[in-house]
Amino acid sequence: MHHLKSTSWWPTSLLLSGPLLVLALVVYLFGGEVLQRILIVLFINLTMVLGLQIFMGNSGVVSFAQIGFMGIGAYSSALFSMSPQAKAMALRNLYSFLVPVQVPFVVAVIIGGIMAALVAALVGYPLMRLSGAAAVIATFALLIIVHTVLINWSEVTNGPRTLFGLEAYTTLWVSVASGILFLILALWFKETRLGLQLRASREDEAAAASIGINIVWVRWIAFVLAAFVTGVAGALWAHFITSFSPLAFYLPQTFLIISMAIIGGSASVSGAVVGAVAVTAIFEGVRGIENAINISTVFPFTVSGLTEVCLSIAMILILILRPSGILGSRELPT
Amino acid sequence: MIQNNALTLHVEEITKDFVGLRALEDVTLSLHRGEILGLIGPNGSGKTTLINVITGFLKPTRGRVRVGDTDITGWPPHRIAHVGLARTFQTIKLFRGLTVLENVEVAAVSAGLSRPQARERALWALERVGATHLATIPAGALPYGEERRIEVARALASRPIFLFLDEPAAGLNEQESDTLLEMLTPLPRETGCGMLIVDHDMRLIMRLCHRLHVLNYGRTICEGTPNEVRHDKEVIAAYLGSGRRMLPC
Ligand SMILES: Nc1ncnc2c1ncn2[C@@H]1O[C@H](COP(=O)(O)OP(=O)(O)OP(=O)(O)O)[C@@H](O)[C@H]1O
Ligand SMILES: [Mg+2]
Repeated sequence: MHHLKSTSWWPTSLLLSGPLLVLALVVYLFGGEVLQRILIVLFINLTMVLGLQIFMGNSGVVSFAQIGFMGIGAYSSALFSMSPQAKAMALRNLYSFLVPVQVPFVVAVIIGGIMAALVAALVGYPLMRLSGAAAVIATFALLIIVHTVLINWSEVTNGPRTLFGLEAYTTLWVSVASGILFLILALWFKETRLGLQLRASREDEAAAASIGINIVWVRWIAFVLAAFVTGVAGALWAHFITSFSPLAFYLPQTFLIISMAIIGGSASVSGAVVGAVAVTAIFEGVRGIENAINISTVFPFTVSGLTEVCLSIAMILILILRPSGILGSRELPT
Repeated sequence: MIQNNALTLHVEEITKDFVGLRALEDVTLSLHRGEILGLIGPNGSGKTTLINVITGFLKPTRGRVRVGDTDITGWPPHRIAHVGLARTFQTIKLFRGLTVLENVEVAAVSAGLSRPQARERALWALERVGATHLATIPAGALPYGEERRIEVARALASRPIFLFLDEPAAGLNEQESDTLLEMLTPLPRETGCGMLIVDHDMRLIMRLCHRLHVLNYGRTICEGTPNEVRHDKEVIAAYLGSGRRMLPC
């Protein structure tokens, strides 16, 4: 009876996090500041795409709303981490009871995640009945709504203007910790009872219902968990970039993480990791080329949007050649 | 799950209308625990529709479905599953991206077991249907003949009190059908479940079922033991009209 070894999440955890840790260590010891910053972005992107994977990968339902949760995480963590003085400078109309509030960075990040999860919990339940094209449209609408609120709620966001004055708390090791932690979380979640039920519902909704799976409920839990992870990623990003406006949490960023999920293969956590690494590499590489062209006076023109073009081409190629992504639904090392 | 061995499933005067078509009309039947009831009838007579109504996939236009004293009419399928009703599908619906073992295990998990317990239960169910050797294969890669067995195992893994099988013998040859018969016959006795089986394989139905219920154009035309039904004039006429042979023996 016991010849079947139980599905386990830790070998994959080790296999995926090992190389990432080595990469981080090498860059930390020998890389310059530019490389370190790229790596921080990589680990934050990784956190974000893991958030997407937890929901989309397991449920098979596409969510375009994630970056909205990133924005909520960014702004709400900022409100709790900034000093009263900084707030007085940057947020002149902030509600007075919020001005003196300041908590340690880690707490602020968790608050960012919780706020995103709360919003997801409140608006998510009716959305979870949808799948396919309807889910795409509805979650896209949610992204637009969150964006509109961020732009107009100037008391807490400074409106469409840039919010500045955050401390750069997100170091390389903070981003690494987040990436690895949520990597393990995502792998573990897949193998929980709920994760298994969610994956079954992805494969066949009728059969899932017939064995007693409450599809709306399991999707909702994953949606809320995913929003938490994405909110944390947003909070970390906010304390890395230190000044931003609501525009940072809109279509380009959405496109970026969706392309990571699609290129790597969203059905597996390994795919999410591969996607995050590949897309960040393409993105930073092409941006470097773009900058070089624009700075040099050799060419009589400047270029912009090259990164988006290259990512689009990569995504189209993947969709044609390997529709389920580089890794598909396989977890390494299988 | 409802724990009462005396429980009976009652289908009371079920009528189901589709647009421009009455698929079921005033169908009444009951299913006891430990018994095997065959639901037969020509193509399009409403057998699948009745299973869909009982398991919550369709809401009846009129009529009730009760399990003991619990009225489950109109409940969503996942709630009905938690009462202890399990089913298979005429058009196979496996979780193709999951392994065979996961397919069965997720049913046990959904019935409330922990993952280690669910694994034990899944291995038990796979053994019952003789598919232990397929456990690690992705369900999407199964040969056609094996798929239905995995669906039966999945339904069994929740330890249902009532089990509904929609054409489990479809596509099987005589020998495979005999294997299925051997596998299904002891189940109600050993697990205490009541079993309702739909199939066109009369060799199987006649040997397996304790009682038969015959539908034609959505209406009950006959009820009784296999022997009674076999000689019923209306049943013979219905099957003659459909071009299917009713009596293999
Ligand atoms: N969802 C639906 N919408 C409209 N009509 C339907 C629907 N499902 C079934 N029907 C019709 O209801 C009638 C009964 O169909 P049902 O599938 O229950 O028959 P069946 O006895 O299972 O037949 P078979 O032996 O071919 O499986 C048929 O005329 C069928 O076309
Ligand atoms: Mg049918």
